[in-house]
Amino acid sequence: MTATADAIAGSTSATGAESALRIANCSGFYGDRLSAMREMLDGGPVDVITGDYLAELTMLILGKDQLRDVSLGYARTFVAQVADCLGDALERGVKIVANAGGLNPSGLADKLEEVAKGLGLSPVIAFIDGDNLAPRAAELGFDGALTANAYLGGFGIAKALTAGADIVVTGRVTDASVVVGPGIWRHGWTTESIDQIAGAVVAGHVIECGTQATGGNFSGFLELPRDAQPLGFPIAELRADGSSVITKHPGTGGMVSIDTVTAQLMYEIQGPVYMNPDASVDLTSIELSVDGPDRVLIDGVRGVEPPERLKVATNTLGGYRNQMEFVLVGLDIDAKEQWLRAQLDDALAGSPPAEITWTRGPLPGPDAATEEGAACLLRCVVKDSSAEVVGKPFTAAGVGLALASYPGFTLTAPPGKPSAFGVYRPEYVDRDQVTERVVVGGEVL
Amino acid sequence: MSNTKRVPLGTFVHARSGDKGGNANVGVWVRQGDDDAKRRARIDWLIGFITPERIRELLPESAELDVTCHPLVNLGGVNVVIERILGEGVAASTRFDPQAKALGEWLRSRHVDIPEELL
Repeated sequence: MTATADAIAGSTSATGAESALRIANCSGFYGDRLSAMREMLDGGPVDVITGDYLAELTMLILGKDQLRDVSLGYARTFVAQVADCLGDALERGVKIVANAGGLNPSGLADKLEEVAKGLGLSPVIAFIDGDNLAPRAAELGFDGALTANAYLGGFGIAKALTAGADIVVTGRVTDASVVVGPGIWRHGWTTESIDQIAGAVVAGHVIECGTQATGGNFSGFLELPRDAQPLGFPIAELRADGSSVITKHPGTGGMVSIDTVTAQLMYEIQGPVYMNPDASVDLTSIELSVDGPDRVLIDGVRGVEPPERLKVATNTLGGYRNQMEFVLVGLDIDAKEQWLRAQLDDALAGSPPAEITWTRGPLPGPDAATEEGAACLLRCVVKDSSAEVVGKPFTAAGVGLALASYPGFTLTAPPGKPSAFGVYRPEYVDRDQVTERVVVGGEVL
Repeated sequence: MSNTKRVPLGTFVHARSGDKGGNANVGVWVRQGDDDAKRRARIDWLIGFITPERIRELLPESAELDVTCHPLVNLGGVNVVIERILGEGVAASTRFDPQAKALGEWLRSRHVDIPEELL
């Protein structure tokens, strides 16, 4: 434990407000603001910096990465962030916990060792895996899955921190687990601490999407300053009783209000109980109140027993898609569309894609004063199990009509190459089918 | 029953939406900022108003789909799940907004009859 952490852990109180663990988020998805880790490190005191890099779709992207190069499969932007921040984080005793390991946590740990060595630093690096069930997909009944990852909880992360890890990288843990784990570590919670862990799950759920907790993607945006200043990333001050205060560094953009926190709690849930592997949350128990400027207290959270089985995120390769977007301008829009569709259908009749979807935007008003105002867009999306079918034969059929179809034929962009698409499916697995592995400084715990 | 006025749902209702596999999730809730009694009355109204039938009516693209509404009085609103509106999920969807990010803003822009005393 660091000097700061020792000092904080030394104090005790009923709610633990004084010993709150300041957990920052610096990423809501793979591709989020690169400078955010640096901002969270320098913007004010924090104990732990966390990040979520794994959306459902990201696992598929990483899966495709790894098909090309087995040493990849992790979030590469995280490596750049750590390279920038590691020295200062170690000096200030700030822990870094992220699910950036994706499909290859040990590969990421190796890469971080290499980066640290290059910087002349020697952090204790931990990784957690065992979530990856893809090699056993057939046996477990996840037919044809390219990726299959069980959502793990926070106890492995806590174990790694207790063993002295400075950085913990994981694969598919739940988005909240990167907050729950440090909470268990600091506050000494056990599997019996259902209410406390549920409180940490709520705090984690609020900050996991980054600036969505501080005014990003917020329908109350008219209350925000709306200037050029970037929105600050969120912080959860997690207390020993599981309550937390959501806040952000002073002087950063955006705001933290009951509405910005509610926004994050009201969506992405599927019913009154929010499932998580260490404790599920009774969402009807959450109480929110203002705790000062840009500070919202989350209190009263009741936990319920976690589900018996673990959820598994699977992605199968669904096939290939391609699209063209036609512009229809002026008079007789319906007739223009019908003729184009008849022509394209005929041109594709030789090897028709398995699925052809046409969608048309709103019709233009009469007598428009701009060309765009007189236009409407007609989109054709095709899918097939074969890249061939939705490649050249499709785009050539469209382009071939350029001078041979409705008046004013034009496309919004030249047609592109087919792209592979995945199909996400949640599955479930018995807990004894999953063996979590915690490795700290090369040693298996 | 009192008189109603036809205004956008978003007049005092906030929303956030997103994807979960092929399902869309939309949270709608009554914004803070007015007196408590009025806010409570608005919450009561909203929770009664947002039903699967109403969602199918306001978002006709969900007319044929399974819709579930989960009221959360403590958070002042309702969580709505629209099944399969994104087809097989974000990467596979042919929808204009494949992750349903803007579905909530569309819902807020729909005009509905709201009792005048709540406005």
